[in-house]
Amino acid sequence: MKSAFRFLSVLLIIGLIVPAGALAEKEIKIGAIYPLTGGAAAAGRELRAGAELAAEIANNVMADINMSMAKNGGIKSMGGAKITIIFKDHEGNPTLGADLAKKLILDDKVDGLLGCYHSSVTKTVSAVAEQHGIPMINGTSTSPALTKRGFKWFWRTTPHDVWFTKDLFEFLVGLSGGKVQGVKSFPKKELLNIASACENSEWGSFVSALIKDFASEYKFNLNKSLLYSAKAPDLSSEVRSLKAAKPDVMMFASYTSDAILMVKTLKAQKVQPKIIWGQDAGFEKPEFRSTLGDSIVGILTRTVFLPKVVDIKPVAGQVNTLYKAKTGNDLGGASARAFTGLQTWVHVLEKAGSTKPADIQRAANAINIPGAELVVPWAGIKFSTSGAEMGQNTLGSGLIGQYQKGPDGQLVLEIVYPFDVASADMIYPFPQF
Amino acid sequence: MDILLSSIVAGLLFGMVLAIVALGLTIIFGVMDIVNFAHGEFLMIGMYTGLLTAQATGLEPLLTLPVAAAVGFLLGVLCYFGFIKFLLRGPMIAQLLGTFGLMLFLRNLALLIFGSEDRALHHGVLVGKSFDIGMGIILPATKLAAAGLSVVAFWGVWILMNRTKIGNALRATALNAQGARYMGIPTERMNALAWGIGGGTVTVAGALIVNFWSVNPFMGLLFTMIAFAIVALGGFGSVPGAFFAGLVVGMITEIPGFWDFMTYTFNLDWMANVPMTSFKYMWVYLAYFLIMVVRPRGLFGWKQ
Repeated sequence: MKSAFRFLSVLLIIGLIVPAGALAEKEIKIGAIYPLTGGAAAAGRELRAGAELAAEIANNVMADINMSMAKNGGIKSMGGAKITIIFKDHEGNPTLGADLAKKLILDDKVDGLLGCYHSSVTKTVSAVAEQHGIPMINGTSTSPALTKRGFKWFWRTTPHDVWFTKDLFEFLVGLSGGKVQGVKSFPKKELLNIASACENSEWGSFVSALIKDFASEYKFNLNKSLLYSAKAPDLSSEVRSLKAAKPDVMMFASYTSDAILMVKTLKAQKVQPKIIWGQDAGFEKPEFRSTLGDSIVGILTRTVFLPKVVDIKPVAGQVNTLYKAKTGNDLGGASARAFTGLQTWVHVLEKAGSTKPADIQRAANAINIPGAELVVPWAGIKFSTSGAEMGQNTLGSGLIGQYQKGPDGQLVLEIVYPFDVASADMIYPFPQF
Repeated sequence: MDILLSSIVAGLLFGMVLAIVALGLTIIFGVMDIVNFAHGEFLMIGMYTGLLTAQATGLEPLLTLPVAAAVGFLLGVLCYFGFIKFLLRGPMIAQLLGTFGLMLFLRNLALLIFGSEDRALHHGVLVGKSFDIGMGIILPATKLAAAGLSVVAFWGVWILMNRTKIGNALRATALNAQGARYMGIPTERMNALAWGIGGGTVTVAGALIVNFWSVNPFMGLLFTMIAFAIVALGGFGSVPGAFFAGLVVGMITEIPGFWDFMTYTFNLDWMANVPMTSFKYMWVYLAYFLIMVVRPRGLFGWKQ
């Protein structure tokens, strides 16, 4: 009796001294800062769902998913440590984003950051991360300037707008050259006149400048190039100004609500271009599709992921099934890249074997994830560790999709570029509203 | 040429919409010399009322106008009896800061209830429709309806103010509240009525505007600023002044269109590269500034 009492008291003392959870698996905290409310809230929901799904797959064993992180049930090199994501809402506000980053680093003591979608917010958040020496992986911001700052704690998995915009002009040249499936070649002068409208924050204004550069490099006429506020309640004078330039090709860089407003206004003003192209973001959100319905048939958008990718990559199909069960939507550019962002975190942590920032930094710089692991159609993930693009993934690539009506009457995005992976005949010219 | 015509038409239509937004502000100022900073927030509430009523009941958005008018009228009267009445006892600065506080309160209340997401109407008889009447002029159905209603509302308010007993009482209160009280006019009720009409017209404007603009809790400020410019331009308290000043401001917001017209008429490359649309509201504020410096009582001002 006495010895049993002694044994119990020893147990009790151990229980008091040893902090709870020390014997359990270690928890790795990743702070994810996304626009969960505000104009880009729709994107925020996708980003969150994408990152959450990746964490679920990493934390559990899912034998039917052909990814190495689905086999481990946590971070193997850290004794099966589980990943917890702490989500914060930056509302599209760079100042708020920076404050949240400070809070995550100092109060929540996160081991790393993920985010932030808006390039303008990623810019301030990554500056905070750099200052505190906390590693940050960015999966969805495409302003080229972000990896031109020589930051040592910032890595970007997504390809950026220089590649995407170049892709677009390659596509236009190929289109008149008859390289696009289902379109015969025609004189280039039919597509010579371009007008662009981009939202006026970090991302859009950079895209606008890129369009200017590439238009002159590829010898197109940029008749009109304007910037507008994504928060503008009305775009009719902008649209009339675009229309007055009589463009053959219209290019946009828009977030969600402004993309919808822009297309609605184009329709109301009966603008008749031959090509309408959106630089991803708002142009491929489920809301864009559900709100505008059939009037978007023929609109092109740059993207990094289309449901059609499933046909090329089985692993994308497996993840898409899970994602659809979770959210009701197919994976899109935002969710697939947020997924890939967190997946990269998992690989980096696995390689680092600890949560010490210096170990993570070393691991991230040495990482080489093969393309077969990814849901996005890239050759893989390998970061540039020196030169002008420090921290940029060098193995990414983009797609151009076109909204078409499927046989079941549903809107689908068909791949039209790169030419060799086209999934359908392109609709050209743009059928008028 | 079609650029010029379409810009003029768009400017006039938009001007009429802006005029109805400013109408309530000028009535309230005219009757009781109070500048209502929360005016744009009333508009925002009108937009939410129209949007949510249409979405909840499945009604055609245009049929929600009476609901919006009722909500606005009640809100105006409630604001008067619950709040403004007490402000009137204080100095001018208290009234200014008071309505400013009301603005912050309403905005944050809306933020609490509706969240910060943009919301828009996507279905309705007028939504997304437009008429092409030739010569490059395209009339969006929503703006046409809003402009038409604006004319009707102005006409109605003008009749009310100038041809009815209540109107006489309102104007008497406006000119000399104390004198009016001695003559047996219930000035208290007249003030409340002014707030009711002011609130009702602007919420109706909101319920119309939501047919073509999206709404979020922060959008009031832009309209408050524009309404101020219109009221200042037209003369504080002048109903016809607000209408004509609305048209002028509508045209001012079309300066980018006129710029495009010049660009393509004279084929000047440097003009095409000026980002005029980014500054479209700047000209409105510039006009506001100029009118304040040159003629503070406005074009049609009758109150000193």
